[in-house]
Amino acid sequence: MNRYLYDGTADGLLSAIAWILEEEPDPEQVALAERQDTLFEDGFFLATDAIQAEDLFFRLRQQAPDAAHTLYSFMLAEKEGMESSLLHYIALAFIHGDKVNGYLTHPAVRDIVAVAKKAGRELHRMKGLLRFEKLRDGAYFAKMEPDHNIIHPLAYHFRSRLRAQHWFLYDLRRRTAARWNQGTLQFGTIEQFTAPALSDDEKKVQALWQTFFKTIAIPDRKNPRLQKSNMPMKYWKYLTEKQGE
Amino acid sequence: MLKKLQILSGAARYDASCSSSGSKREGPASGIGNTSNSGICHSWADDGRCISLLKLLLSNDCQYDCAYCVNRSSNVVERASFTAREVVDLTLDFYRRNYIEGLFLSSAVMGSPDQTMERMVRVAETLRTEEQFGGYIHLKIIPGSSSELVRKAGLYADRISVNIELPSQASLERLAPQKHKEAILAPMALIGREIASSLVERKTSRHAPRFAPAGQSTQMIIGASPENDFQILRLSQGLYKKMQLKRVYYSAYMPVSDDNRLPVLAAPPLLREHRLYQADWLLRFYGFSAEEILSDDAPNLDESFDPKSAWALRHPEFFPVEINRADYGTLLRVPGIGVTSAKRIIAARRFSAITPEGMKKIGVVMKRAKYFITCSGRSFEKNDRPAALLRQQLLLGESPAPARSTQLVIPGIFS
Repeated sequence: MNRYLYDGTADGLLSAIAWILEEEPDPEQVALAERQDTLFEDGFFLATDAIQAEDLFFRLRQQAPDAAHTLYSFMLAEKEGMESSLLHYIALAFIHGDKVNGYLTHPAVRDIVAVAKKAGRELHRMKGLLRFEKLRDGAYFAKMEPDHNIIHPLAYHFRSRLRAQHWFLYDLRRRTAARWNQGTLQFGTIEQFTAPALSDDEKKVQALWQTFFKTIAIPDRKNPRLQKSNMPMKYWKYLTEKQGE
Repeated sequence: MLKKLQILSGAARYDASCSSSGSKREGPASGIGNTSNSGICHSWADDGRCISLLKLLLSNDCQYDCAYCVNRSSNVVERASFTAREVVDLTLDFYRRNYIEGLFLSSAVMGSPDQTMERMVRVAETLRTEEQFGGYIHLKIIPGSSSELVRKAGLYADRISVNIELPSQASLERLAPQKHKEAILAPMALIGREIASSLVERKTSRHAPRFAPAGQSTQMIIGASPENDFQILRLSQGLYKKMQLKRVYYSAYMPVSDDNRLPVLAAPPLLREHRLYQADWLLRFYGFSAEEILSDDAPNLDESFDPKSAWALRHPEFFPVEINRADYGTLLRVPGIGVTSAKRIIAARRFSAITPEGMKKIGVVMKRAKYFITCSGRSFEKNDRPAALLRQQLLLGESPAPARSTQLVIPGIFS
């Protein structure tokens, strides 16, 4: 069994996979892992080639769009230690096309699809659970700490939804931010963060929402367990309606 | 404003519908908002139901005196009304902060049905034209309002709905004397026709106006009147087939009134509501008919079994089903196999025959399914058990442990 290493970046991973698919007759028999830089590491290092990485993604998108989407979601998860599974999954996707996602009895397919699903689920959840606050200068600001690195697709969602307003997304866990203002979307990092001042009417609107949240529940049907299973407590920290509970 | 919101959202909470799905709109370039096919839930209230729309009554100051309703005119509650501007501003303020997916607007009857309906349509019109709002709007149709207003409502809203309220005309006459069956069914039929003709027009021109693109739904109250489950399911089946409704919502009657026309219930019939939703799913997604699920001899759903397991127990001749050969429709009839796992089985067996191991990976609920299937000819359990024994095993599981209490989940909270 041949063993290969890459530098730990997303581009490095994809270009290594592209190289292996090109050179190895049976990718199922190949293992791929991140280089740890220990003295006696076993394996052949493949250098990163961003152009090859991009090329692989485009070819996959042409031959198996669903699999390319799964790959995209999988990369959001920033999962370590699953490089070999991803290699086997992509090899299968080039053989079977989009049908590959139905091959759930294959362990690599099952693992990759499961991770991608989880990332996709959190992305969908955050589209609902993200809360903006209006700042003094009229911009809207939202904080989050998601498990997956979803700020890019999330920003694309709000780009088409809240087109006419100026907003920021801030991922505290990764210190990354997105900004939409007058038709341009930018991504960047924030090292020093100070909470900006809220607009004067912000607390009033928040109080209205908290009131609505309380009264819309039917008291006879209280079901905190169901509430928590739909809306896990890890998200409550930034939910306007769950402040002060 | 806070007080008003409390009164008018509290009064709207018994409307079950909260779905924001089934409509896809980019939204005007200069405005805010769009909708997506999947719909988005924004929060979950303390009763576990999802919040995706700002659910409000425009007013709770009602002319009618329906026995089952909190807002009936003879009830002593605080009354309030919103102006159109107040609702519009509240919707936009909430939408900009990503609290909601859109607006759900209903109302008590103020003055005449037409006057009420006109005020509700004006809210939707202001949102769409003045504010360029592209988010989701669900409007309730007041029974008895003119077809002109119903048409206008359908042009501004994503979904419109007329509540059927009670499952039979007799109950309607007894409990809601001012509402008439014709006044409810006529707009339903009109909406159905308009949706159909708008779909035809949009096939020839994509600029043709869309009429209620997310379809129409309705709601009825369960347990306030004596109808049995069979009558209710046949009614729903008729609504789905003849009126092309997207959803029928069932809402367990909450004792909000001590009117002597109403039954006295120890607790709201939540389990019955749950079973009805399960049966409703069988009608819409599993290819069952109401007559297969229930009959005149057994007109009520079994409380201890879900309706599909109950059907399977009555039809031993249908089983066992061979997982590696059965078609989609047959797979769907196996207890423990749902729409998702049936599709996964079909996709997975293109690659190789499915093994018992594979069944678990696919997500089949083997606890129930194992009594009804074979895998490449191999059975999991003796399939020839007498029905009574099977019933007991399904109920208790393998070990004679006591049955766990069922967690009630409202189906459709994700849709």
